[in-house]
Amino acid sequence: MIDGFNFAYLDEATKRMIRRTILKAICIPGYQCPFGGREMPLAYGWGTGGIQVTASIIGMNDTLKVIDQGADDTTNAISIKNFFKKVCKIKTTEVTENATIIQTRHRIPEKKLSEHQILVYQVPQPEPLRRLEPKEQETRKLHAYEEYALMHVKLYEEISHYGSVIKTYAYPVRTNRRYITDPSPTPKFDNPKMDFMEALQLFGAGRERRIYAIPPYTSVKSLDFEDHPFEIQTWDERCDICGSNNSYLDEIIVNDKGEKKFICSDTNYCEKNIKT
Amino acid sequence: MIIKDKILEVKNLTHYYGEQVGCEDISFDLYQGEILGIVGESGSGKSTLLKCLSGQISPSQGIINFCIDQNQPLQDLCKISEQKKRALMRKEWGIVQQNPRDGLRLRVSAGGNIAERIINEEIKNYSNIRHKALDWMDKTEMEKSRIDDFPLNFSGGMQQRLQISKILSSNPKLVYMDEPTGGLDVSVQAKLLDTITIIVRDLNVSMIIVSHDLAVVKFLTDKLLVMKSGMVVESGLTDRVLDDPQHSYTQLLTSSILQV
Repeated sequence: MIDGFNFAYLDEATKRMIRRTILKAICIPGYQCPFGGREMPLAYGWGTGGIQVTASIIGMNDTLKVIDQGADDTTNAISIKNFFKKVCKIKTTEVTENATIIQTRHRIPEKKLSEHQILVYQVPQPEPLRRLEPKEQETRKLHAYEEYALMHVKLYEEISHYGSVIKTYAYPVRTNRRYITDPSPTPKFDNPKMDFMEALQLFGAGRERRIYAIPPYTSVKSLDFEDHPFEIQTWDERCDICGSNNSYLDEIIVNDKGEKKFICSDTNYCEKNIKT
Repeated sequence: MIIKDKILEVKNLTHYYGEQVGCEDISFDLYQGEILGIVGESGSGKSTLLKCLSGQISPSQGIINFCIDQNQPLQDLCKISEQKKRALMRKEWGIVQQNPRDGLRLRVSAGGNIAERIINEEIKNYSNIRHKALDWMDKTEMEKSRIDDFPLNFSGGMQQRLQISKILSSNPKLVYMDEPTGGLDVSVQAKLLDTITIIVRDLNVSMIIVSHDLAVVKFLTDKLLVMKSGMVVESGLTDRVLDDPQHSYTQLLTSSILQV
C-alpha cells in the first residue's frame, strides 16, 4: 500500500478482472469485451476507461506518457499523468520513444511506435454501429453475424449528399478482416498508422464498460468503396512553429481579426523538429 | 408443375397465443412465380400466419419447408439457425409492411434504402450501387430525381413504392405483402397494383399477399385462402373462389363488396 492506495489505485482483484478482459480482447481483435467498469476519481468522458486499462497493465518500471489531442501539456493529459505519479510513483515522460505506455485521447503520436510500447485509447463510444442501430441487442447480432451493410449505407449516404465521405474522425475500420471497430475519435489521418502497428493498441470505454484491442501486426482497413477510396486529410499550410508539412495540424485563431495559424497537434513531435 | 419449382410447403401449421388460437391446421404449397392471397376479416389469423411463415414467430406446431437452394431438398424453417434465417430475410425474402414507415429507414435517403439490400450482396462499388438503385426507382415508376430525398418527405404511395423497390432489389424468391395498398387512395392504389403486377410477372417471384380487400386480391393473386377464426375455410383458384364461393363465410364476404 502506498499512502492509503494500492499500487495504481485499483485493488488487485479488479486489476486481474480487467487483465482477463484485455487478454480476451487481444484474442478477438476488434471485439468489444464487456467488463465491470469501476468508478474512478474522474468524471465519465474524461478517460475513465483509459485510466482503468492503464492502471491494470502498469508496472513499477514503466514510463508513462499521456496525451490529449496530441498535446502533452493540456489539462486532461496533465491531470491523468499526475494521478499515476501519485498512485504509482512511476516515471513519466513527454518523449514518445521513451514511454512504455502511452495513454491517448484522440491522437496517435506522429513518431512510429515500437513493439515495446502499448498505446491506450480513451473511448467515449465503442460501438461504431450505435448511431445507425440504437438497440444494443441488435448491434451485437450485427457484429456476430457480420451483417455490416448498414455501415456502407452510411458511407453511401455521405457520398450521395456531399460528394465524398465527410466523416473525418472516428472513421470506422475493419480489424483483422472481421470486426468493424471504432478507432475512438482519432482523426482519420491516424487510421493508416493503426494498420500493422508494431505496438499493442488497447481501447477502454469507461461509461460503456467495454474494452477492445488491436494486437501488434494486425490488419486495420478503413472502410470505403472501390471507386471512392479512403483518403486522409492534407493541408496546404505548414506548421507555424516547426515548419512540418507531414504532421496533423491544428488550426488556431490568433487574434480578434480572425487571423489563423496552423501548428502541429503532436507537441513532442513539434519540439523535436525545432531542435533538429 | 415439376417438384423442383415448389418453393414453400406448409403442413398443419398451428400457432397458439397461450390458450388463444392464432391460426390452426393450415396446409398449402406455393410454386415459383405463383401469387397466393390470404383473405379474412380482422382477427381471423392472417397476420399470425404471415408472421409464422416469415420466421418472425415460431409456430406451436407444424412444418414450414422453404427452398433455399434449387438443387437441394426443401428445408424446415424452424430448424435452421438464426444466422441463416436472417440471411434469408435479407436476400431471399422480402416483407412489404402495411405501413411503409416500418419497412424503411426514414432518415436514410431513398437511394440508401435500396442500397442496403444491394450492399448485402457484396457490391462495394459506389457507382454500381447507385446505378442499380436508380434502375429500381425507374422500374417502380418513381422520379429518379428524388433518389437523395428522405422517405420522411414522401407521400404514402411513394413510400410504398420505395419499400417495394427496396425489397425487390435483392431479387428475392418470395415476397410477403401485408395489406400493401392499405391506407392509399383509390387512384394511387390502382397505379401501385399495376406496377406490382408488371414487375412481379417480369421477375417471376412468388408472393403471399394478405389483404381484406377482395378487389386487390382478385386483381393480383392466382390462388386464394379464405380464413375465419384461425382456420382456412375455403381455398382454391382465386377466380373460382370469388365467382363460385362454397363456404357460407366466403359467400358473405363476396356479397359484402360495395358496388359503385
